Amino acid sequence: MMAGHDTQWPRWEVFKQDAPGRPYQAVGSVHAGDPDHALLTARNVFVRRPSAVSLWTVREADLLTATPQELEAQPEVLDTPGEAGTYHVGLKRTHRRSMTFVDLVGALEAKGPGDALRQAREQYPDALTWLVFPESAVVRTDDDPGTLESWFAPAKDKTYKQQQYYGVIGKHMGELKREGRMPQRVNEEPHIGDQKVYSHPHDKAPKVQR
Amino acid sequence: MTQPQMIHPGETPEQHAAFQARIARGEKIEPGDWMPAEYRRQLIRMISQHAHSEVVGMLPEGAWITRAPTLKRKTILIAKVQDEAGHGQYLYHAAETLGATREEMLDALLSGKAKYSSIFNYPSLTWADVGMIGWLVDGAAIKNQTMLAGCSYGPYSRAMVRICSEETFHHKQGKEMIVAYAQGTPEQRQMAQDALNRWWWPALMMLGPHDADSPNTGALVQWGIKLKTNDEVRQEFINEHVPELLEVGLAIPDPDLHQDEHGNWKHGPINWDEFWAVVKGEQGLHRERLGARRKAHEEGAWVREAVQAYAARQLGQAAD
Repeated sequence: MMAGHDTQWPRWEVFKQDAPGRPYQAVGSVHAGDPDHALLTARNVFVRRPSAVSLWTVREADLLTATPQELEAQPEVLDTPGEAGTYHVGLKRTHRRSMTFVDLVGALEAKGPGDALRQAREQYPDALTWLVFPESAVVRTDDDPGTLESWFAPAKDKTYKQQQYYGVIGKHMGELKREGRMPQRVNEEPHIGDQKVYSHPHDKAPKVQR
Repeated sequence: MTQPQMIHPGETPEQHAAFQARIARGEKIEPGDWMPAEYRRQLIRMISQHAHSEVVGMLPEGAWITRAPTLKRKTILIAKVQDEAGHGQYLYHAAETLGATREEMLDALLSGKAKYSSIFNYPSLTWADVGMIGWLVDGAAIKNQTMLAGCSYGPYSRAMVRICSEETFHHKQGKEMIVAYAQGTPEQRQMAQDALNRWWWPALMMLGPHDADSPNTGALVQWGIKLKTNDEVRQEFINEHVPELLEVGLAIPDPDLHQDEHGNWKHGPINWDEFWAVVKGEQGLHRERLGARRKAHEEGAWVREAVQAYAARQLGQAAD
């Protein structure tokens, strides 16, 4: 579905690998003018948290994706022409809640994107979405230690971005309930409204009436 | 299918029934799937407004980065504002899968055509506001977003799952800050209380009009876009936050606030005139927020031109 008058930079789908040996997962997209820009933007948008060890970006024009319903309505998608070669295959397999779209499951040799999609459907008939793109379209981060360190370590070291960093704050509500001290009523203090001067509830006992 | 206006010309009741059955089975609708035009329209409206809110939401807090009291608080605030920028990106992406372009959406925001959450048109006057925004505004947002993470449209749901996992940090850092100040010096307590006085009502309002005044709710619930109504989400928010605010010794600026026989905290009347005035930009900082966005957009023009020139040159070299 193209509106046709988007003069912005091309869109790139972003695939992130969380740890060595884990599948690359489609996490979303970025707009960028060139491949390096796409990778850098992908890092800033999708790697603000641990963890990642590698990123791929693929220009939207190089992706072919379809759902079963889509193929039923438009079977000609399976004839989409393009270059022959190695194609990566991504699948969506579940309706469960997730933060990623498809997982990349492997690669195959195909005569073109339509053929790659056809083969993917034959191999994985139960998938809810198939996605294919040629190996030649992949832009990837380097996997040398220097790149890994400078691109992905900072997100890992900034633990204050994790909610666990804050632990339990104040009295845990479960604890208050067990102790029968869960506040049940509004403080009997006069209400504040626009008043700037007030006496703080802490200054009076009991703090919270039950 | 009692709402005929939901069936657009060219659509059939059978298509709608099949679509409704998919929703009922808990299936996620993906970009290539058939969907009612009205479903698409409602989603584009909601998701783009949500994206704009994230982008404008950087402004009230970003203003405090240079004035953060410690390095620790400053790094936390920078990370939080970066997150809001990222959340805007996730959401624009989700809206793009429905056929809206990034350019159209940004134009709508900068021209003032598009709406965004009323909450960001309130000023952040003191440092405690940064904490109160985290605790109350992000707390309210998480209630809404946790609900939306279960919505029927795949890309929106996924963006929400990702956002919720990050947003929990925003909520916690704000709560930690306010709890510390509420137990601090008299000046700090005063500052925390003052922030609560100003943010309590806007936080309740940001969850949207009462169900009776929310014309889109019926369709949105039927299609599994919203799994709860505005009033239900608001009640959840109040039930969680009232006891916590009272526990730290703050007074909630609502003389009518009370618990009903079911244990639900019931708020007093909300000033909806204020809400609509702020949404429409007749009250609050609408003009300043848009001005700041426009200025940033204009000042980034040379960067966009440079990137475009570089891409064109690379393309030219590739052609040689």
